[in-house]
Amino acid sequence: MIKGFRYALNKFWSEALSGDLLILSLSIVLAVTSISSVSFLGDRLQTSMKLQASSILGADLVLRSASAIDPNYLELGVANNLDTAETITFLSMIITDEDNLLTSIKTTSESYPLKGELIIADFDGSLIQNSGSPPSGSVWIEPKIAETLSINNLSEISIGNKTFKVVGIIKDFPDRNSSFVGFYPIAIVNINDVSDMGVIQTGSRVIYRNMFSGSKRNLDNFVNDIGEMPADIRLQQADDVGDELGEALRESVTFFNLASLFTVIISVISAMMAVRRYASRNLLHASLMKVFGASKLFILGHQIMQLLLIIIFATLFGLLCGYALQSLIISALQGILTNELPAPSFKPVILGFITSIFVVLATASPYLKILSQTEPIRILRNDFSINISNNLIIYLVALVTMFIFLGILFQDIKLLSYILLVLIFVTAALFAIGKTLIYLLGSIKFSSGIGWKIGLKNIVNRGNESILQIIIFGLSLLFLIVLAETRTDLIDSWSETLEEDTPNYFLFNIQEYDLVNVTSYLLETANFSPSYTPLIRGRLLSAKRAGSDEFSSENLMEREANLTWQESLPKSNKISKGEWWNEESLEAEVSIDAEVADSMNLEIGDELLFSAGGSKFSATVTSFREIEWESFSPNFFFILSPSAGQKLPNSYITSIKISEQSDIMNLFTQRFPTITAVDLAAVIQQIRNTVSSASLAVQYIFLLTLIAGILALVASVFSNRDQRTKETAIMHAIGANRLIIFQSAAAEFFILGILSGFTAIIFAIVLSSIIFSQFLDLQYSPNLLILGLSFAIGVIFIFISGILSIRKTIYTSPIITLRDS
Amino acid sequence: MAGLDIPTKGSVKLLGSNITLMNEDQRAQIRAKDVGFVFQSFHLMPRLSALDNVMLPLEIAGDPDAIEKSQIALDQVGLSSRAKNFATQLSGGEKQRVAIARAIVNKPKILFADEPTGNLDQKSSNAVTDLLFSINELINTTLVLVTHDLLLAEKCKDLYELSDGSLL
Repeated sequence: MIKGFRYALNKFWSEALSGDLLILSLSIVLAVTSISSVSFLGDRLQTSMKLQASSILGADLVLRSASAIDPNYLELGVANNLDTAETITFLSMIITDEDNLLTSIKTTSESYPLKGELIIADFDGSLIQNSGSPPSGSVWIEPKIAETLSINNLSEISIGNKTFKVVGIIKDFPDRNSSFVGFYPIAIVNINDVSDMGVIQTGSRVIYRNMFSGSKRNLDNFVNDIGEMPADIRLQQADDVGDELGEALRESVTFFNLASLFTVIISVISAMMAVRRYASRNLLHASLMKVFGASKLFILGHQIMQLLLIIIFATLFGLLCGYALQSLIISALQGILTNELPAPSFKPVILGFITSIFVVLATASPYLKILSQTEPIRILRNDFSINISNNLIIYLVALVTMFIFLGILFQDIKLLSYILLVLIFVTAALFAIGKTLIYLLGSIKFSSGIGWKIGLKNIVNRGNESILQIIIFGLSLLFLIVLAETRTDLIDSWSETLEEDTPNYFLFNIQEYDLVNVTSYLLETANFSPSYTPLIRGRLLSAKRAGSDEFSSENLMEREANLTWQESLPKSNKISKGEWWNEESLEAEVSIDAEVADSMNLEIGDELLFSAGGSKFSATVTSFREIEWESFSPNFFFILSPSAGQKLPNSYITSIKISEQSDIMNLFTQRFPTITAVDLAAVIQQIRNTVSSASLAVQYIFLLTLIAGILALVASVFSNRDQRTKETAIMHAIGANRLIIFQSAAAEFFILGILSGFTAIIFAIVLSSIIFSQFLDLQYSPNLLILGLSFAIGVIFIFISGILSIRKTIYTSPIITLRDS
Repeated sequence: MAGLDIPTKGSVKLLGSNITLMNEDQRAQIRAKDVGFVFQSFHLMPRLSALDNVMLPLEIAGDPDAIEKSQIALDQVGLSSRAKNFATQLSGGEKQRVAIARAIVNKPKILFADEPTGNLDQKSSNAVTDLLFSINELINTTLVLVTHDLLLAEKCKDLYELSDGSLL
């Protein structure tokens, strides 16, 4: 066997450059490129998402409660080698000599924040601090407070009983969503000043946060040590906030996985075709070696070493391409990823090698036996054919190996099961169609053109060979069509989230008496008629299970609840469980965001107790809703029925669309100083960037699968090229002119293309609808343009590449072709 | 006779060994050491150069001097100038001369030629015939030639005629 190894090493380049190994090598390169780029990408995206999620929390893990948290938790954190920090946030007035402003006061300990960046500048804009807390007696404020209260450097302000000196402006801080989001500006003071301010009293709205950071192992140990926690403490980990990174990014990752899965399947198909041709051509070589005295082991050694070298070179090249593709996608995603990306790990390299080994094992291993056991007498008989029944076992081995590998790799048994089922059905359907076609063509008496007649007869004569080609064409087209449809619909659904009339301002705190004026002002200046949603500030106190007598606050986070009441279901909401109320219903009902309901373990029929406007009231949960937050309309976790909410004191909220360039909003804030206007332009731009970045990234990865698909079609066309070439030369020799030969090849490839294209489209509709509903949560309606185009391009491609594959033979003297073959 | 196949009846002794009793790998060993082959359809490896084709038997045997010996063999068939050319770039006559060089490169005790001129035009056929017989003398080997060409057959020392599977 060693001699075989040596022989393969010596002859590798001349054999590799001969072209026989080219398609096999390219199939491996594509599979490795696809797997490694997605792995490089997934690896880095996941780390980056985790970093981002941690910086959203300001730590890796946070304990959050509405009442003071037992200090033992912080000690337990230190005992587990974790870094710790503490914040207490509450609402209070900032008072100056002239004015005052309701502010979210965030008190922080020295080590705050543990993750993410705190940026504090002086009044000139120069950076002065990026962690910790201001010295006792000092305060950092957001620019909005300085503007509203006309505060200068070292101005004095009062919060509760304590006077503070303003020493810095807050440019950025990580855990923005932990406070009373969006509504109030932030001021940061030292946590040691809390008691001096004397603003926290029984019933105050306060959020206590204990923050922890450290290695995953220490964090796990810590969580273990905590054990059962009181119901009012909520544990948040970076993983929990992953959702905030945007649907588009998560969906594009799903698409990357899907595309990479399809690329591997298609690459295995083309590798299968390539290996088949390679093996039948290599049979002469192996038989000749036997004639000249090579043993079974010598031939085995030669083949194994040759495949090993292909694995090494194709994998290295594939890894390079994978890394390049991943860099391209990362550069496209730059708009989404705000953090510096961590360096990629070594995992994709190992994965790349495992992929190529599996592709080779799945496709080439069955041929090793056939080649090593070939009989030398084949040389005298000039017989270098490989029996088709051997092929069936080979394809079965390839299929099983491929799915074991993909199962280990993607760990998504559900997706793989669907694909396997479709694969089996489509193969069976294509087989049946092929058989029927051969039967029909065999029994029809052809009367029209001789060329067409020969072409159709050829399909019959090739029998199983023709069926195999229909199956391969059909499968390659199927996966390409499904991916093309997924890509288009995904990008469309992303763009739809931001239509032209998406609101760009939220207006809060509109009082009843302002409504008429605000409407007429907006109509006059911007020709915009706003619709108002009532906003009731309340609290969720407790819940009672249907049939039980006891209200309990277990599982309920103390929750500041911004409530509204509505007669009909808002446009951007969808009922996921239960029913929306009748407009005239006299019952006090409440509809809840499905995710909130899930996190609080609420069920339909539960009774919730709220407090709002100084009174308590209860309402029965009658529906859960899925909310489309990207709609930029006012959305609420809790919506009350009119009978429950109508009588409660409320202000109004609305979202409006105003041209970015106009100064309407400046004038508006001067005219209505008590109304808070929040500019959404930056958020909308961020989402626009996300959508265009994710779309571009999806295009790149789709292109890779497209190349794999084209390669599979080419490999399949070329798989029996030798036989076709010989037949063409014989036809040529017995007097067929070029037109007849062209017509016969055209008829053959045209029929094969039409049949496989047609079947691919039918099954693409089935597979797409499964993928859309089960994995992407999108509505599927067949995209006729893509289906039609795919069919046309598929048929034309098979037709043209088929003709090209025998082009040389048509124009070459038959004697030369026959001699060479 | 050459040990490429085994008889359904009877036995074959090649160079004193009963090859019918051997397994495929043992027969391969005998072929590697003492037997050379020339085929009607040349059977050169299209993706290897002329020199690489000639080297094939020596490389299988693990001969460290494969290159030098193969160059000498190519020289003996008058094709040393075509050593680097791929098989597909050679004419029919040249292909058969490379095949002859490959057959004699391991200095076989017996050389089998199956219709060696069957695929060649008259001129090439004459040249290959002359080459085969001169090489036969040069390396002092036994040449077993199978042919339908009576003129070629008459050049041999012993003639045996096979018809319908029987020796006449």
